[in-house]
Amino acid sequence: MSALAAPIIGDRYRVTAPATVNQPVPGPETFELIVDDYQRRLYGFALRMTGNREDAEEIVQDAFVRAYRALAKMDPQQRAELRLQPWLYTITLNVTRNRLRSKRPTNVALDSLADPDALLNETQEGPDQPEQIIDRAADMVLVEQALLQLPMHLRAAATLRFIEGRSHPEIAEILNQPIGTVKSHVHRAVRILRRILGPEVGRIAASDRPVSDSEEEE
Amino acid sequence: MRCCDVERLWDEMREGVEPQREHILAHLRGCPECQEIYRENEGIAYCLTCLPPVEPPKSLFPKILDHIKTTVKISTPDSVVTIDSPIGTLWVTFRHSGITSVALDRGEGEEAVLKRLQRRLGRGLIPSQTPQWVSDTVAAFFRTHYADLERVDISDLTPFEQSALRAAATIPPGEVRSYGWIAETIGQPAATRAVGRAMARNPVALLYPCHRVVDANGALHQYAYGVENKARILLLEGYKTTARR
Repeated sequence: MSALAAPIIGDRYRVTAPATVNQPVPGPETFELIVDDYQRRLYGFALRMTGNREDAEEIVQDAFVRAYRALAKMDPQQRAELRLQPWLYTITLNVTRNRLRSKRPTNVALDSLADPDALLNETQEGPDQPEQIIDRAADMVLVEQALLQLPMHLRAAATLRFIEGRSHPEIAEILNQPIGTVKSHVHRAVRILRRILGPEVGRIAASDRPVSDSEEEE
Repeated sequence: MRCCDVERLWDEMREGVEPQREHILAHLRGCPECQEIYRENEGIAYCLTCLPPVEPPKSLFPKILDHIKTTVKISTPDSVVTIDSPIGTLWVTFRHSGITSVALDRGEGEEAVLKRLQRRLGRGLIPSQTPQWVSDTVAAFFRTHYADLERVDISDLTPFEQSALRAAATIPPGEVRSYGWIAETIGQPAATRAVGRAMARNPVALLYPCHRVVDANGALHQYAYGVENKARILLLEGYKTTARR
């Protein structure tokens, strides 16, 4: 039963785990460190949410300005209690919501949102053949577009869960929702994606999936 | 364990929560339909997880910092101290760039003074010890009637206000000039009223000597600390108020 392979999930940015995560939140005077630590993460999130690079850039800029203002107003006690990462996700999501609300649905870029380079570098076993890269990029576009078809709240749940690799309790904190609601939103998102992507799923996953030792069970 | 439970609990199971994991596995072994759904869900999750990380453009980092600089006023607080002087207690605010405001305590109470200063500066205030350079600057003014303007920061003011104050600082102690004289000195002869406003808004009274600026007919007009204090300060500087009347 190879489908029961160990799930591949996790924090894709773990390699560069933010230095500030476990430290007291610095004041506005060291805000550069926060920007440095989180800009990739928040940009990626905003880009997956909007499907548009310019929107993502502006969202991240606005989100950091909001965070800066809020931090400047906090006293040391409030800063010490602040959980920086979920808080920054929440701000980014709020800015994204406001922006998408005031805008017509995004015109989805037809190329993959990721850099071609990132696709190239992703496999560790050496460079893929050109055809494989093209196939893969096309598949990425399918998945990205499917994600953008989800309603906003389901897209947020699915993006945080599977792309950002956050846990249920953390997503609950970011979205300010009960954990049960988060689980149900993730579940509904997956159901809709299953319907949109249909038979493509098996093909994409199969063509892409590295053989892992956990697949030998049964 | 029912089929709908399997679908609902699938994502939790990925986190390896026991004993649910065992129950679901047991159900899956006997239920081809659930196996299919499970496989598809895993496929979806896998597709999403596989989306490669996106890199922000290199220009984003400096853009963010610039954006913050231009939209957020620098809001680190100033320090505030009180200093005794010949005309009464002075409240002096400063930052490393210099003294940012001087206010005479006119008995309105600490809270009211601080509130007024804060509103005027648009920043917070932190009560602190008086550094030597601050007390020296103030003491030197009362001794010599000149202030070391290197230690006074008027960069928050408009360019017009700054040049009007710089012109006022050229008036020697013991003398006065008119608002019109300042306006002419800074090359804006028609701006007499604006000069009046700039003097009235002078946050660093005494150090930038707006008290040496009077009406064209020599009347003292107005002063932030009260006209009686304007007369007192001018008297300390050797100017006889009545002489010009």
